[in-house]
Amino acid sequence: MTIFILILLIIFSILAVFLRDLLKAALSLAAASICLTIIFFLLHAFYAGVFEISVVAGLIIVLFVTTISLTRSETPVKESLMAYFFFPIFFILIIGVDLMIYKRFSMGIPSVTGTIFHGNFGDVFWGKRSFDLIGQVCIIFAGVFSVLTLFRRKNE
Amino acid sequence: MFIFIVFPLVGAGIMPLLGKLSKKKWPDILSAMVLLILLVCSVVIFSPSLKEPWQYIQNVHFLNEPVHINLALDSFNGLFLILISFISFTISLFSIDYMEIYGSKQIYYALLLVIVAALNGLVLSKDLFGIYIFLESAAIASFGLVAFSLEAEALEGAYKYLLLSVIASGFILLGIVLLFAITGSLSLDGVKKVMEIVNNKSVITLCSILFIVGFGLKTALVPFHSWMPDAYTKAPATFPAISSGLIIKITGIYVLARIFFNMFQINAGVSSALLFLGMFSIIVGTFLALGQKDIKRMLAYSSISQVGYIIAGFGVGTALGVIAAIFQLFNHSIFKSLLFLNAGSLEKSTGTQSLDEMGGLEKKMPVTATTNAVGLLSTAGVPPLNGFWSKLLIIMALLQAKLYIYAIIAIFMSVLTLWYFLIVHRQAFFGKLNEKWSSVREAPFWMSLSMIILALACFVIGIAFYIVLKRFIIPASVPLAGFIMK
Repeated sequence: MTIFILILLIIFSILAVFLRDLLKAALSLAAASICLTIIFFLLHAFYAGVFEISVVAGLIIVLFVTTISLTRSETPVKESLMAYFFFPIFFILIIGVDLMIYKRFSMGIPSVTGTIFHGNFGDVFWGKRSFDLIGQVCIIFAGVFSVLTLFRRKNE
Repeated sequence: MFIFIVFPLVGAGIMPLLGKLSKKKWPDILSAMVLLILLVCSVVIFSPSLKEPWQYIQNVHFLNEPVHINLALDSFNGLFLILISFISFTISLFSIDYMEIYGSKQIYYALLLVIVAALNGLVLSKDLFGIYIFLESAAIASFGLVAFSLEAEALEGAYKYLLLSVIASGFILLGIVLLFAITGSLSLDGVKKVMEIVNNKSVITLCSILFIVGFGLKTALVPFHSWMPDAYTKAPATFPAISSGLIIKITGIYVLARIFFNMFQINAGVSSALLFLGMFSIIVGTFLALGQKDIKRMLAYSSISQVGYIIAGFGVGTALGVIAAIFQLFNHSIFKSLLFLNAGSLEKSTGTQSLDEMGGLEKKMPVTATTNAVGLLSTAGVPPLNGFWSKLLIIMALLQAKLYIYAIIAIFMSVLTLWYFLIVHRQAFFGKLNEKWSSVREAPFWMSLSMIILALACFVIGIAFYIVLKRFIIPASVPLAGFIMK
């Protein structure tokens, strides 16, 4: 299951880079983010999953989509083909670095469940990480007011 | 201390409601009052005696029950609390008149207060994930401010800013994940303790690279600087003022300083990398600023160059280098905010940012011309203004560390900075008045007042530099001193 979602994550990430329609690219990024959230949940990293879906799949994508919808032009713009040349190189490079990191550090990495964050999501969130709630409120305010900025009438 | 985060957040929350009552009056008053109260509180709680990193810990309680929110204070972040409150207060005053042309002041002030809350939260947090969340909050609220005019170029700048900010966050988050995986801790001192035992140099090197790239993007160090000129050019002038004055300093330099002086021990490799990036930024930023015709774009490149001095100061890694870097950071926040507000004043009065179209505005805008002269002379490091002393200390630190070539480059680039700023000042304020500016008037009261406050700050800090150094800057450097290179 995890492998299947992982493959979907890579496919959506590649689509986000290669799709010419910016709106579709942003939606692919959202799909990639949702795949990542599912992987987090499958790996019992609920804390990371909640943040991934609220911040990245939620707020950031809303900002991307609204900006794109506001900047859409009727005149076609010739796109640079650089991405087609550079993306595969960077993709291979990152996979290589990823493997090197995995090979180098995998033996030394302790299980996350063995750390101070052991416990159910509620305990961790309310008992140990309540300061993050303030940060979350801050992010939500920032996102809401940014979206309000984009949707307001000029010189209102 | 909790007031520094909650107060502006509550202010931001009720801002749209106040906007319904009066779109012009109440948002101005609320924002200025919140920030003035924070300024007073920050000065009151600053204590030079908090010399140990995160010496004073406040455990927040609600109805006598602990809510597991721990805020940490020492003399280093205490200085930043003063800086955040002071710069944002003057920007809030400037916005009273300046933001009339953009409308929706209640949303604007809400974004400004969210940025202030996020920056305060970041400096009071000693937790890597807490830092990351507040960093993201500041980035998202900044996106709103960049796009505020809703012009195509502003939206393009905002989009570029958001994209590069996300990339920076990716690097930072990867670094945090690696550290958490190795140490099982997210607090800066917790990571430090485990790393001292584990002493895994590969992890430290890898995380150092990730953090330098991530925070380098946030700070707009060369070669990670491309977002800055585009984001600054079409945003309201108050955004580059708060971004260059505070956001890049705190989301970039402050966190880097905490990481390399309080969490990892700064080593020769990191020192060389910071020195190189700093000097590279000074050179590239200065030369790119030379040919600019748009005043905000020119100031953006100048900002990249001046931030290079701060990074180079930290890169030297000695006690004098760190003191000089903190002093330059403190001064640069003031004079660069002033220069961007001057640019905003010119833009509001003339309707243009192009230096070619300006000229002879000195008689029409004496306050803007005078405060601009103070800002540019301070940036270039002309005595007795504040920028002179911090640049002098940086050059002395470079010489003390026997980095003679870097010191010569720093002096030469400072002279070049003076040259291009004088050209800019002459183009804008001296010479024959262009006929189309015959009806131009000086900036309104609140804009003029905020510029005068910042210009006076440059002057007073320059004259009383010894007191400022002794009372604020040197104590602020002490929490970083434990890891200064021997």
